[in-house]
Amino acid sequence: MKRALFFVYIAILSVFLLFQTSYSADTIKIGLMAPMTGKWASEGQEMKQVLDILVEDVNSKGGVNGAKIELITEDDGGDPRTAALAAQKLVTQKVVAVIGTYGSSVTEASQGIFNEAKVIQIANGSTAIRLTEKKLPYFFRTCPRDDEQAKVAVQTIKKLGVKNIAILHDNTTYAKGLAEEAKTLIEKEGGAIKVVFFDALTPGEQDYTAILTKLKSANPDMVFFTGYYPEAGLLLKQKKEMKWDVPFMGGDATNNPDLVKIAGKEAAAGFYFLSAPLPKDLPGGEAKTLLNAFNQKYGHLPNSIYAVLAGDGFRVIVKAIESTKSTDPDKLANYLHKELKDFPGFTGTIAFDEKGDRVGEVYRVYKVDENGQFVLQP
Amino acid sequence: MENFFQQLLNGLSLGGIYALIALGYTMVYGVLKLINFAHGDLFTIGSYIGFTLLVSFGLADITGPLGALAVLCAVVMLSVAFLGACLERAAYRPLRHSPRLSAVVSALGASIFLQNAVMLIYGAKFHVYPQGILTKSSLSLFGLYLPLVKVFVLFASLIVMALLYVFIQKTLTGAAIRAVAIDHRAAQLVGINVDRVVTLVFLIGPALGGLAGLMVGLLYGQITFTMGWLYGLKAFTAAILGGIGNIPGAMLGGIILGVIESMSSAYLSVAWKDAVTFFVLILILTVRPTGILGERVAEKV
Repeated sequence: MKRALFFVYIAILSVFLLFQTSYSADTIKIGLMAPMTGKWASEGQEMKQVLDILVEDVNSKGGVNGAKIELITEDDGGDPRTAALAAQKLVTQKVVAVIGTYGSSVTEASQGIFNEAKVIQIANGSTAIRLTEKKLPYFFRTCPRDDEQAKVAVQTIKKLGVKNIAILHDNTTYAKGLAEEAKTLIEKEGGAIKVVFFDALTPGEQDYTAILTKLKSANPDMVFFTGYYPEAGLLLKQKKEMKWDVPFMGGDATNNPDLVKIAGKEAAAGFYFLSAPLPKDLPGGEAKTLLNAFNQKYGHLPNSIYAVLAGDGFRVIVKAIESTKSTDPDKLANYLHKELKDFPGFTGTIAFDEKGDRVGEVYRVYKVDENGQFVLQP
Repeated sequence: MENFFQQLLNGLSLGGIYALIALGYTMVYGVLKLINFAHGDLFTIGSYIGFTLLVSFGLADITGPLGALAVLCAVVMLSVAFLGACLERAAYRPLRHSPRLSAVVSALGASIFLQNAVMLIYGAKFHVYPQGILTKSSLSLFGLYLPLVKVFVLFASLIVMALLYVFIQKTLTGAAIRAVAIDHRAAQLVGINVDRVVTLVFLIGPALGGLAGLMVGLLYGQITFTMGWLYGLKAFTAAILGGIGNIPGAMLGGIILGVIESMSSAYLSVAWKDAVTFFVLILILTVRPTGILGERVAEKV
């Protein structure tokens, strides 16, 4: 009896497995790797929302080169280990290109897999410098890079008249890289600004009063936190509770409306951060069309610039496929490196250099006002 | 010097929370010799239930802050206790007489199940407790920043633990729990209903874990479905540090762990605080393998 049952289970399982194989030979598969769950789920979910709109739009106009686009989404959970699995899954489903992901350490875990399988990868939320220093021919990114961000950070620090700066990161690829870049640039300034504190916190925890107490005793004029928004929100909230009112500045990973939700409006007011322009501040008609379409479908404007950058990545690869009339990775990579010039993206004109980095200056400074709104600083 | 005391206070209040969660681990281990990996997720569920009560039912508006607090504690503790008892029935009782490894795997499975259940029900984003429930005032003693809520949490933890200790040591039911912890079959022979005792333990332990979750939600405001993992790990470490199976041990272990964490982040590097904490654990275990207050093992007569 048990044996019979066992074979019944196997039979049912095989039926399910059969349904997994794709049914249409005439679609172009584009993958999306994003944090659909985990601490950055709000970013990943918006990335998918933007791509859904764009895919629908392209398919309603007849698709690309006569074929419809099929978007395959895999969840990387905001974790490098899950990302490696997600990348494998996408590769076995024979995607032409992958848009993703958010979080440099997560992207790094997937780079090797995509490169070996010759799948074009266009990252939208991974700004660590390392990622394009590896000479991977199939890797691109629509988001800017941390050396530009560190430059703008130091400029802002100088402009605000800060003499003693504390730098705090969280040991992730991105945060540590940005912190070290900023520190090197400050040291090059030759003593005008002093780095009085340089250390890392552990992400994923909730009680940061110990480290805030330590920061306080180092007496900085400003704290530059290069980590992600969940921790930034908690830091702001707890520093307010300690009645310590030294201004904080964050890198672009602190850019997320959940920051204000976690910290509370009072605590978040006066927080500076660097970022590519927010969706609501994007110039240009392309951006307006996307924002309207997004608003119509989902009832609100997109909160995250990274979701819009994912949209840009998608349009860029569609343009490449259209122009080269093929899905051959080498042809696409060549097109993206050499022939794509001044492409009108949502976030400005897009072109890639030979390392796969986006050309152009993108970073701006934002400040949070008392209502929790992000205000672009001149 | 004032920095030292400030960090000590930070550590004590953090330790109080670890101690509450560690109690759940230690009680279950004492009775079943099983590390209940799902305990961290019961802690998470406690904070989510508190969140639901406050946000979906608007509890604070109905009863005012003090009433809300009382209702929150009662409802959270009862519901997580019930969930704990169900968990025991479903995941652990059928494996009571199986090899220990099966029960451990079952515990891990239960943990994954609960964590993902929370994610599916509440979504993957962070949720934030409404502010203003607990008082924001703080004492300022000798220039030290002492938020009243943290003092409250620490004292509440200590009182709960003292009550639990008295219950276990001085009452008949407590004696029954101790008997089952020593030997199931012998306890059965003297007429103790082992199933009932185990269920009771799974009512008390998770209730405390849920209470800790509620306190964390009220204190820090931000909850997410993965928070049980890190807290559970640290509380488990605290229980081992103090001697697993030993209730005052869990209390002591939790507080010591909180203080070590705080001190090492203050005086050594913040980035290395977890490494230092676990290093101290290793040191203490090499000197005293059964933990500081010693593991409760059966005595051969």
